Amino acid sequence: MALQQSRTDTGSVDVLPQVRLCGVTKRFGAVLANDGISLSIMPGRIKALLGENGAGKSTLMAMLAGRFKPDAGHIEVAGARVDFASPREAIAAGIGMVYQHFMLVENMSVAENVLLGQEGGFVLDPAAMRAKVGELAARFGLPIDPGARVGDLSMGERQRVEILKLLCRESRVLIFDEPTAVLTPPEAEALFDALRTMSAQGKAIVFISHKLEEVLSVADEIAILRRGRIEGEFLADEVDSPAELARRMVGRDVVLDIKRQAVSPGDTVLDVRGLSGFGLDGVSLSLRQGEILAVVGVAGNGQQPLVEVVCGLVRPQSGTVELLGHGWDAFFKHHDWDGALAWVPEDRAGLATCRSLDLTDNLLLTTRQGFSKGQWLQRARAREAARAIVREHNVQPGRIGLPAWQLSGGNLQKFVLGRELLRKPRLLVAEQPTQGLDISATEAVWQRLLAARADMGVLLVTGDLAEALALADRVAVMFRGRVMGQFSTGDAAQVERIGALMAGLSDAGAKSGAA
Amino acid sequence: MSPELIVALLAAAVHAAAPILFATLGEILSEKAGVLNLGVEGVMALSAFAAFFVCHATGSAPLGLLAGGLAGALLCGLHSLVCQVFLGNQVVSGLALAIFGVGLSDYLGTPYVGQATEGFRQFAVPLLSQLPVLGPVLFRQDAMVYLAYAAPVAVWFLLNRTSLGLGLRATGEMPAAAAAAGLNPQRLRAFGVMAGGFLCGVGGAYLSLAHTHLWTTGLSGGRGWVAVALVIFAFWRPGRAVLGALLFGGVMAFQLRLQAAGTNVPSSLLLMLPYALTVLALVFSASRSRSSARKAAAAPAALGVNIEPED
Repeated sequence: MALQQSRTDTGSVDVLPQVRLCGVTKRFGAVLANDGISLSIMPGRIKALLGENGAGKSTLMAMLAGRFKPDAGHIEVAGARVDFASPREAIAAGIGMVYQHFMLVENMSVAENVLLGQEGGFVLDPAAMRAKVGELAARFGLPIDPGARVGDLSMGERQRVEILKLLCRESRVLIFDEPTAVLTPPEAEALFDALRTMSAQGKAIVFISHKLEEVLSVADEIAILRRGRIEGEFLADEVDSPAELARRMVGRDVVLDIKRQAVSPGDTVLDVRGLSGFGLDGVSLSLRQGEILAVVGVAGNGQQPLVEVVCGLVRPQSGTVELLGHGWDAFFKHHDWDGALAWVPEDRAGLATCRSLDLTDNLLLTTRQGFSKGQWLQRARAREAARAIVREHNVQPGRIGLPAWQLSGGNLQKFVLGRELLRKPRLLVAEQPTQGLDISATEAVWQRLLAARADMGVLLVTGDLAEALALADRVAVMFRGRVMGQFSTGDAAQVERIGALMAGLSDAGAKSGAA
Repeated sequence: MSPELIVALLAAAVHAAAPILFATLGEILSEKAGVLNLGVEGVMALSAFAAFFVCHATGSAPLGLLAGGLAGALLCGLHSLVCQVFLGNQVVSGLALAIFGVGLSDYLGTPYVGQATEGFRQFAVPLLSQLPVLGPVLFRQDAMVYLAYAAPVAVWFLLNRTSLGLGLRATGEMPAAAAAAGLNPQRLRAFGVMAGGFLCGVGGAYLSLAHTHLWTTGLSGGRGWVAVALVIFAFWRPGRAVLGALLFGGVMAFQLRLQAAGTNVPSSLLLMLPYALTVLALVFSASRSRSSARKAAAAPAALGVNIEPED
């Protein structure tokens, strides 16, 4: 008894793990989402799972929450092996998950939402329900009005309701999937306080994030997930440089050996000077024909607004943007469908294509001006062009009559890239072009981009450092809307600093960079 | 107008409001669970016949009432089957139900047209019926009207003060949240639709057992459609449903009296009055729901949206 007491008191690592993942593996088709992952989740500890988008974090947690079954390996709860057939069983085993999209009934009160399904009696007593929820909220430091309508609450408050639902079910493991994505900074601080309170009361907490600063400020233990594998695991106190974390998270091992042929740079196709607003802070960069410029950084550090400005979705607030030698206004007023700008967006199934249109119609989405005669579409020609893309880029299955959703991510991406290259752009913006693709599709996309740069400048926005280093001539590192550094990938000393720059440490290794 | 006439008119309004109130409450239950049922007209017609048939055969009015309710629950069970098992479109299925119910009741009822049945008779509640004005208006009615006084309270209590009602509302707002809480949204919806169907059926039974006491075709006379509109007017609240039903009952009773009094206004215009009021009521609630009261007055968020099976 006394021994037990002292053990839990110290919250030390030799307590029995609440949940253990033992060599868990999950594949989706050809993509290995999780590869032999082993993790221990301890009561009273906050474990951060750090990884880029597509690293396999969500898949791993979906298995813990009972939504998927592992292909190999197993999960143990309190030392006993479990096989969850449904989320309900995971909840019963004490594993609760706060998803990014809340599962709340907006038109009901906080207390009703929290107690839904476990009211403990047929006739309800609203006052008692409110009191019960209010008491629970006070115990775990989650201030909230139990009588308020959920639809009137802020995102931070709604998240508290989700947490209360789990606490009310006495979940012993609480998993948070990117919990700060919807929160303002003060709300995030309040959440961190609540996480600490809950862990002090013996809850095991898993915190999924790709934000370094957050993870360092809240976690006791950090596990880095990259391309489906655990890349490293440490105690938060042991981490002496965020740069090391960033470097490990994005990795830089060369997965593919790609031959690059030197191309002599031509005219400047994109020139951004002092661009600010939308979370950008004085961004300047330029790109010439024959070059690939990789914009790297942890997601959410200004890459998206930069792409939106360059692609004409939002008008620059301050600073100048020149495309193909024209100002932003002039360019987007007059630019042609071909010979100008093309964009391969990150969201290939939502933004780049319409899921239920066939490949011909999806081709026409961005190229219809090239396939029309007056008001009439020339569908026969479009079909021919779609067929040519399918053949040339080896899109499987090669039938142009299929709706887009029947193609795998890799094949859809090859088709989108083929479509955009058909426009013979002089500036190509490619956003996370190989995210979620298997090795062969990744290689195909990389080859296309390298070959394409002879005729155009390519702005490659990526969270994958290996991709940036394999493809790009130059790299620009972004952090909190600023370009922290811009240099040639041939400059080994500078390339060493990328991890530090991504973590916002501009003076780290400045001595070596001074050369 | 003399005071006696006004009291008689009010009593007639209460009498005319009862079937609409039952049907409106039934539709509220169904819609709160997230299932739009446009078939109320057909449900009322068929259950009016079922109630008449059983009462006619057995001579028992309560048995007839029960038969009407069960017929409504069964017919709505069909709607539930189409929408929840086969994921059919709720609007289409509801409209089909309306046409099917009216047609079937006409077909089955043909041999009985013009035949009478005992049904429910009016009786005065001791003491209460002696109250001035309120007594003759509220307490010299038939048993089903007294039942109609209890129904809104019962529906309100079910929805707001029981765990079953909480589950029903959650299912109508966000089935995924209900499922995440360990409830079975499909089963809850089936319950809501069928319990609602039972109430609509009771409304239909009222028409043949207490309103006319005889069988004719077209007995439902558009009351089912009025009920569907009243749900929106009532903002899905049982209390406001009472208000709406009384308003319509009042207009219906009023136009009957006017016709009987032999005014110069064409009867077709008078017959139109309740439906013109329906349009006005909908315009009113639409303008209300754009204002500050919008949130509380909003339809259940998942109304009319079928629950897709996972993955």
